[in-house]
Amino acid sequence: MEALIIIVFVIGYIAIALEHPIKINKTASALLAGVICWTLFILSDPSTSVTESNSYTSFLEILKVELGEKFNALTSGELYREFVAFELSEHLSSIAQILFFLLGAMTIVELVDAHHGFKFITDRIKTKNPKVLLWIICWVTFFLSAVLDNLTTTIVMLSLVRKLIANKDMRLFFAGMIVIAANAGGAWTPIGDVTTTMLWIGGQVTTGNIMVTLFLPSVACMLVPLLYLNLTLKGTLGETNTHEGLVHDTTVRSGKLMLFLGVGALIFVPIFKTITHMPPYTGILLGLGVLWVVSELINPDLDEAVKKNYTVAGALTRIDVPSVLFFLGILLAVGALESMQVLHHLASWLDTSLGDQRIIVTLIGLLSAIVDNVPLVAASMGMYNMDVYYTDHMVWEYLAYCAGTGGSILIIGSAAGVAAMGIEKIDFIWYLKRISLLAMLGYFAGAIVYLIIQPYLAVHPPA
Amino acid sequence: MEAIVIVTFVVGYLAIALEHPIKINKTATAILTGVLCWTIYALYSAESIEHIGEQLHEHLGEISGILFFLMGAMTIVELVDAYQGFRFITDRIKTKNPRTLLWVVCSVTFFLSAILDNLTTTIVMVSLIRKLVPNKNMRLTFVGMIVIAANAGGAWSPIGDVTTTMLWIGGQISSVNIIKTLLLPSIVCLIVPLVYLQFTLKGKLGQPHAEGGEKAHGHGSHNGPIKGSKAMLFLGIGGLISVPVFKTVTHLPPYLGMLLALGVLWVVSELINPDMDEAEKKPYTAAGALTRIDVPSVLFFLGILLAVSALQSMEILGHFASWLDTTLKDNRIIITLIGILSAIVDNVPLVAASMGMYSMETYPTDHMIWEYLAYCAGTGGSILIIGSAAGVAAMGMEKIDFIWYLKKISWLAALGYFAGAIVYLIIYPYLAVH
Repeated sequence: MEALIIIVFVIGYIAIALEHPIKINKTASALLAGVICWTLFILSDPSTSVTESNSYTSFLEILKVELGEKFNALTSGELYREFVAFELSEHLSSIAQILFFLLGAMTIVELVDAHHGFKFITDRIKTKNPKVLLWIICWVTFFLSAVLDNLTTTIVMLSLVRKLIANKDMRLFFAGMIVIAANAGGAWTPIGDVTTTMLWIGGQVTTGNIMVTLFLPSVACMLVPLLYLNLTLKGTLGETNTHEGLVHDTTVRSGKLMLFLGVGALIFVPIFKTITHMPPYTGILLGLGVLWVVSELINPDLDEAVKKNYTVAGALTRIDVPSVLFFLGILLAVGALESMQVLHHLASWLDTSLGDQRIIVTLIGLLSAIVDNVPLVAASMGMYNMDVYYTDHMVWEYLAYCAGTGGSILIIGSAAGVAAMGIEKIDFIWYLKRISLLAMLGYFAGAIVYLIIQPYLAVHPPA
Repeated sequence: MEAIVIVTFVVGYLAIALEHPIKINKTATAILTGVLCWTIYALYSAESIEHIGEQLHEHLGEISGILFFLMGAMTIVELVDAYQGFRFITDRIKTKNPRTLLWVVCSVTFFLSAILDNLTTTIVMVSLIRKLVPNKNMRLTFVGMIVIAANAGGAWSPIGDVTTTMLWIGGQISSVNIIKTLLLPSIVCLIVPLVYLQFTLKGKLGQPHAEGGEKAHGHGSHNGPIKGSKAMLFLGIGGLISVPVFKTVTHLPPYLGMLLALGVLWVVSELINPDMDEAEKKPYTAAGALTRIDVPSVLFFLGILLAVSALQSMEILGHFASWLDTTLKDNRIIITLIGILSAIVDNVPLVAASMGMYSMETYPTDHMIWEYLAYCAGTGGSILIIGSAAGVAAMGMEKIDFIWYLKKISWLAALGYFAGAIVYLIIYPYLAVH
């Protein structure tokens, strides 16, 4: 059964990659793959790799306490199905957090855009030289993503680029580089991306140390593709259409306010999380709610129909719902593989057959371009013991780098890539042909830089 | 702290009810209320933050199951609509008499909702009457009655609505018995408002547009016949019916069945018209249908359910139910009140609280209180538009105002609710299991 599920996953993956030739929307393929994987999983006979896993035994213990005497009446098949359903609900909750966050961030950015808030930034960028602009965009993305999460950074930067670059072909290159820069920028700070945050919360890395050791590799990871494009990028930015936008908007004077509120709401999310310990999606929903109220009250003299475009209700009709569902499908499918322990087995198989941690971690990074990096890092955290691999050990730092940046190699390898795919309608194959190689070059360049500098910056084991 | 959360909840509730006078979209209010309730709970509660985080995590899982289900169902119905699939049904309904049509629509809704869940039934039926009743004022009354009929139809069958299903799975009621005892009360709950409207309903259905209904958005330019409308109708309905079947076979939650159906329809919708070019095809694919569904009402649901789940996690609902129990004593009064309360907060936590409050040893399977609870929690939600999933969906689809519903439908729903309750209390001694 495991083999069958992996085959379904692979077929789904190929169908997503070949979206355009086979003319089936990637969201449909993703949803079908996700649902079929789980259906096969729950209908399968209990497999030993699942029943012998830690999560299964701890689930049984909790269930035993909950049900009391009824527990003994359940057959092993029923217990197995209970376990699958429980795993699914756990995954759904984690997935929903990502999706509502995405929905909230996309809507806020769309709303600021509707109020022409980004004009205040784009008006200040006068350059007509694509290479100069590319440098600016990449560095801004890199540092923005160190503070904000990769997803938000990508959405904001793509909206900016849309205003600055009318030429569609040129813009796709910029979108590709934004994905690379966002992922690279997230890797070296504890709050910049999910996997580094996981390692930081788990105590595997410390703030000061991770920033010192991973800053240079992350820069190299972005710089190599950037230098390459600096030499080869051809074409112009194209004429930006001055009449862009919804309605001729002499009536809407709220651009500046909405820009500050929107950016404020996005920056507020990590602050909200630190103060309340509530998950990030609640922070973004709070920001969205506030912006919604402001957007409805800010132009009292407009009539309902015109105002609609400038409210969150209007912005919600313009965001890309299929890409939210695409994410749902993909994450459900990966969740099934994770719950079946397929990912875990792969990681430990790598461990036993390869031996050298540097090669293993490098491969995990490459693997994270195909499946979600969160379960991979979680599996690695369970695989390497903290007693042997102490805090700030090379394995953890290198893992933070590889899992953070490896996802750029395929467009569906990272949340930033999926968002870019939805917003700019980037084709999987186009990215594979034009960007993947650059991303991989950067990935290995950064990895080499890390392995060279690591001996000089290494923390020695606590005495 | 509990008081602050309750005040926040009530203020949010008032702002939702007064959406139009204060000119703040109900979704914004609902989201703010939901997040603030949880934030206050997280900041000021004596509970550990890990525990609260787990509670929120668990609730979000349940809530998003409902939301993805809703999105899937809305998209499927919207897609069938884009293919003008409902024409095969609406073309067969020739009556121009609003009263006759109301009887037909309500009966169909009632029995459809016994098989499908209330949410799907409401979405399908509201889409249908959009075609049949162009007159906006008349249509709103129809929508109100659809909500009442969907909730009433769900109460008497174990698979028809969430709370009855909960009681059935928990072993509090048995299939045959619940159908036998609740069928009549549920019918009465629908018939009383229906009979009232039979005498008082005035106005016309209005003149349908040639293109089939007044569609504000979407595919106005494509009036010509589109291939595959019959296929899409059958596939769509088949997809919706497959959801409970899928659930029974696999034991996976319904939203996965709905997403499976959506995925299949999506693929078909992309392949069914190979001769059209991309731009032409777009409105007829699920991607096109997704741009037309009402995302704000999905988020509205998210906000409302988050707020209620905060109350539930703080055990305010549980305390309230047991307070009712100790102060009132009489089960029948308590359960009647729980039904009315379910118009304000979600009925699922209320039923869950009651299930925990009454022990199965004192109140065995098919005891009066379980049956009566199934009836009250299932139909009481019709009294306010945001009291049931069916109502919230109708609110999003037809832009029904909270206050309008309160003035025109609520008291009809309350009348039906009490009439059904009385019928149950009269007939149950004769049908009771000893």
